[in-house]
Amino acid sequence: MSGARKIALTDRIGVAAIYAVGFLSLALLVAPSLIVVAISFDTRSYVSFPPVGFTFDWYVKLFATPELIQSMWVSLKVGLIVTGLCLTLGVPTAIACVRGRFKGRQALSVFVLFPHMVPGIVLGIAILFAGATINARPSIGLQSLAVACFILAVMIRIVMARLMRLDVALEEASANLGATRFQTFRHVVLPLLLPAIWAGAAFTFIEGFDNISVAIFTHGHRDRPLPVELMSLVQNDNTPMVAAVSAAQIALSVVILSVVSSTLGLEKLND
Amino acid sequence: MLDTIARFANGRGLWPAIPAVAFLTVLMVIPLVLLLSFGFSDIVVSRGVIVSQDFTLDHLSKILGDRLYLLTFQRSINLSLSVTALCLIFGFPVAYLYLRSGPLARRAILIAVIAPLLTSGIVRTYAWIVILGGQRGIVNRALLDLGLIEAPLRILNTHWAVLIGMTQVHLPLMILPLIAVMTRHDKALDEASANLGASRLQTLRHVILPMSVPGIGTGATLVFTLSYTTFVVPQLLGGGNYLNAATMAFEQMVYSLEWSKGAVTSTLLLVTCIFFIGLFTWASQAATRWIRQEGVA
Repeated sequence: MSGARKIALTDRIGVAAIYAVGFLSLALLVAPSLIVVAISFDTRSYVSFPPVGFTFDWYVKLFATPELIQSMWVSLKVGLIVTGLCLTLGVPTAIACVRGRFKGRQALSVFVLFPHMVPGIVLGIAILFAGATINARPSIGLQSLAVACFILAVMIRIVMARLMRLDVALEEASANLGATRFQTFRHVVLPLLLPAIWAGAAFTFIEGFDNISVAIFTHGHRDRPLPVELMSLVQNDNTPMVAAVSAAQIALSVVILSVVSSTLGLEKLND
Repeated sequence: MLDTIARFANGRGLWPAIPAVAFLTVLMVIPLVLLLSFGFSDIVVSRGVIVSQDFTLDHLSKILGDRLYLLTFQRSINLSLSVTALCLIFGFPVAYLYLRSGPLARRAILIAVIAPLLTSGIVRTYAWIVILGGQRGIVNRALLDLGLIEAPLRILNTHWAVLIGMTQVHLPLMILPLIAVMTRHDKALDEASANLGASRLQTLRHVILPMSVPGIGTGATLVFTLSYTTFVVPQLLGGGNYLNAATMAFEQMVYSLEWSKGAVTSTLLLVTCIFFIGLFTWASQAATRWIRQEGVA
């Protein structure tokens, strides 16, 4: 009897220890972002926690800093171009990889998903070299192409995963009922794919907007994107304005997260 | 007309993929081949344009014989392995909590794990400057107030800051694959084990842990490769004192404009990175096979 009680006790202690580490990790995941948000409203001109007052001054200053505003526009443009490129290139590719009936379909999947293994820094440097060889200098265009190349595999993977779970019988039924290939695609496949397309678009936009590993080598000298601007700001500016820029970025990610969770669902995202 | 387009989009052939294949060939295959060739040549750059490129093995042989490079890559590997181990230690309990939680708590955990992933790594690293920073940093202030230390500790701009920051920044990449494999398995298995009289720890050890192995493999691969190839965290939290292989390539390309050296460093980074991805994949598959054979799961 005492043996069983001993097991019950060690069991309880062990599980409690695991829970404790789990809660600690969750706190460590969330707390830093909350601290940054809190600091962005502080009235002092240096960064310290906890804040002693409340002001929107740092946000006002943020919007009065032309380099920051310009870099936001650059990142927005890059984000949109990257999303557009990944949608037009990625969705048809995913369809070919899953529904294709041709020799070398497996090889195609391996090839289009390979960029996932290439580190961003390596791809950025390689594309900078390629650009320099044909005299294409770093610019918004080069940066967008490079980041799209880096993130395309993610779009393809998300759409492929959804397609694999769709029943081919639906498409066959549509064809048997006399629908043309286009009608089947437009009215059967596309609506079913839409959640994955939305999620893929959200992720590629975030990457286009936020990427630094590829962007730092390929961005235009006058068109510095937000992450590049932010990186030098973090290194050189000690005021809570950096926290305000960061808090604005955190707000953006919360918006994107709610888009993804309402279209695809958080649970499905992780399958 | 529409039908022709649809044949592109919905056909059974290769052609819907042709634009992407062409795109990746131009923007990835050719640049990577060029990267390799640049390592074998002497490049002179002026204002972002290559002035001359001559074949030479100088850079390659110099770098392969230089102890600095060996030490830097060793440091990178040590750091990435430590971060991977820490992410597993801190990440596994979160996935276990998720497995044991109801729908509402599960949702909260997913938000806490996914939200940081959608936030810029620079922002999340910046938070650690605030927490670990000098005298006014949160950690130092708390320790001083508690009387545990008499003078502020120097954490920022050291190896420790890089290790702590990188672990937190990459933690979600370990948790998500773990949650995915744990929830994929039948919950009944878990309950059966409990009904047969196994304690929760025994269930964890003999049921949940073995079935998590593929998730550990995926998570470890993600965490390792990102830790191995990022220059953001070392640059911001190491304060220029901390040189890993990615930071080295970054500095050669951006600050000292030594493109030939940068080419060799990033080629080595790519090759070693793919080697480690292969190693992790092999280890994870071998472990899964071994568990099946032994009948542990």
